[in-house]
Amino acid sequence: MGTTTEEQQAHKAARRLIKALWVFNWFNSCGFTELLPVVASRFDMERFGMIAVGSPKQADALFVAGYQTFKSLKYLRRIYEQMPDPKFVVALGSCPFSGGMYWDSYNTVKHLDEYIPVDLYIPGCPPRPEAIFHAVGLVMEMIEGKRKGDRSGD
Amino acid sequence: MAITRTDAYVIPFGPAHPGSGNFRIWLTVDGERVIKARAEPGFLHRGFEKLMEYRTLLQNAVLADRICILEPLSWDLVFAMAAERLQGIEVPERAKYIRVLLAELTRIQSHLIWFGVAGIAMGFDTVFKVALTWREEILRLFEEVTGARVYPTGYIRPGGVRWDLPEGFLERAEEVLLHMEHYIFELNDLFFENPSFVSRTKGLAVLPPEKGIELGASGPALRASGIPYDVRRDDPYLVYDRLEFRLVSREEGDALSRFLVGRDEVLESVRIGLQVIRDMPAGEYQVKVGPFVKVKEGEAYAHIEAARGDAGCYMVGTGGRTPYRVKLRGPSFTLLIPVLEYLLRGVEIADVPVVFWSLNHCPADMDR
Amino acid sequence: MATEISKLLEPFAPREEGNAVWVRVPLEEIPRIWQELREQGYDYLAAISGVDWPDRGVIELVYHVWSLQEKSFVHLKVEVPRDQPRLPSACHIWGGSAAVNEREVHEMFGVEFQGNPDLSPLFLDDWDGPPPFRKDFDWRAYVREKYYREDREEDRGYYKD
Repeated sequence: MGTTTEEQQAHKAARRLIKALWVFNWFNSCGFTELLPVVASRFDMERFGMIAVGSPKQADALFVAGYQTFKSLKYLRRIYEQMPDPKFVVALGSCPFSGGMYWDSYNTVKHLDEYIPVDLYIPGCPPRPEAIFHAVGLVMEMIEGKRKGDRSGD
Repeated sequence: MAITRTDAYVIPFGPAHPGSGNFRIWLTVDGERVIKARAEPGFLHRGFEKLMEYRTLLQNAVLADRICILEPLSWDLVFAMAAERLQGIEVPERAKYIRVLLAELTRIQSHLIWFGVAGIAMGFDTVFKVALTWREEILRLFEEVTGARVYPTGYIRPGGVRWDLPEGFLERAEEVLLHMEHYIFELNDLFFENPSFVSRTKGLAVLPPEKGIELGASGPALRASGIPYDVRRDDPYLVYDRLEFRLVSREEGDALSRFLVGRDEVLESVRIGLQVIRDMPAGEYQVKVGPFVKVKEGEAYAHIEAARGDAGCYMVGTGGRTPYRVKLRGPSFTLLIPVLEYLLRGVEIADVPVVFWSLNHCPADMDR
Repeated sequence: MATEISKLLEPFAPREEGNAVWVRVPLEEIPRIWQELREQGYDYLAAISGVDWPDRGVIELVYHVWSLQEKSFVHLKVEVPRDQPRLPSACHIWGGSAAVNEREVHEMFGVEFQGNPDLSPLFLDDWDGPPPFRKDFDWRAYVREKYYREDREEDRGYYKD
């Protein structure tokens, strides 16, 4: 990360202060369809303290939903860079992991971690709301240090 | 009081804005008023039409769900109808009735998302929460029949439907349809007859009928301008010529009438659904289509009334295992580019999300 | 099929199927036929499809035109040579829907529509490859070379066809 050990330790300590995840939803593609019920009343995410925020500067986690095209990747990178540390990136669906349904398309990104570091992948096409909550639970475990993310070197 | 001179400048109304979809519009504004709008599509472009050239017909039936996420069964249906017309397959009666029932349920749940997201863009958060919760009942039905909530794994495929309806499904579907009718009346009090909603949408962004035809609009946006074009009535497919339903259209052509057409269409869909449940015949649910069947030589065009408008599919075959060319006509292609650019002229910036969401559209079926 | 349309299209051997008419018209006749069709009430251009036939050396364009009054389709086909794909634009006949459809066909097939004021790219950003929907651009070979690696475990499945 290019920071001193003191800064890294401060980041690790600051992470434990995150009790409720504030989420920036990057609704790009079909994977987001199950994020709408997560925000709505049946699979209400606010009972866990999660809020969908409108600005990347207020967010702890970035939910990248589904495939990215090269056009939207540019904006995704800019949003990722604007988020302050500590931050988590959760990729939804099988498309960011391996290309998914559109593996032979000329315009979609096949492996998202070549462009931005991803902490957690949620499989599914699209992932069910219950899977998204399970993933948020895993992110909480990662914050508490009980689990290593998929991002290498962390 | 005179406002001091302002200069025109360009704002991107971009993909990460809560008031827009996955779509960017460049607005040239002078003060608060939009002078010119230019659409920038392409954030979701996957190249579906060529992806379909690499897959067999049954594999394409699964891929066809994902053309527009908000109404997957409608796109399954369009693809299946074009394939059947090309191959010369006649689908059994029971399959037709099942298809109509699922198509109307898809229309209802798509309109609920439309109202919910339009509500949140205008500041009515409650509408979003309740509309999506009501939609869950329909998703439960879909899960019972097709196995998945959102993407029905190509349930409607060339030849019929993949498997028969489960026991007791028709009773449950009837109950859900009657609930939907009740919910729309609730939504009416909450949203459509809410004075702040009406004042924000009345008289806004009027689409004149000739302009609507020239720019290629269809669906609720065109019917709200006085042109009663509905593929279910004008070019009936499946069993719509035997069903009784009213073609909803209005004269004013403003944003409010587009929403009201959508609201009344849900009631008509409920009516169609109840008739289908009453008349559902017994019999076969599919005609066997093998996984490696050769696509016949020739061409076919099929179109349906999807929730968003006139959706079409043109298929060309040359005797191989995969189609030679599939062209998908998405209703949002013309709604989001020429119609939106036309309607946004002269609108204030704060009203841009309202105009945007009053056209029932989906950027995914524009980009394909 | 209404009598005026059958008189108009008779010399080109149309094929009728239900309430749709499929007809192929030579390039020189196109502007006249478009004008007549529009005057007969075929005012709704649903789509323009491009089909690439490399073995015949042509790109075929199909104009799917619907009449709101007659409630029927005319699918008008015209062929342009593949190495010089150029034909007049239909913007003065069908307006905005023709303009945006032509923009898409231009981007995906490389066909030039003379008289269309705006043929800028619609979907792709900084694309410097061949027109994507032409048959000589093989997508699977392209993505295998550019994005996948045969030595990576999870990509190995994409290398068996």
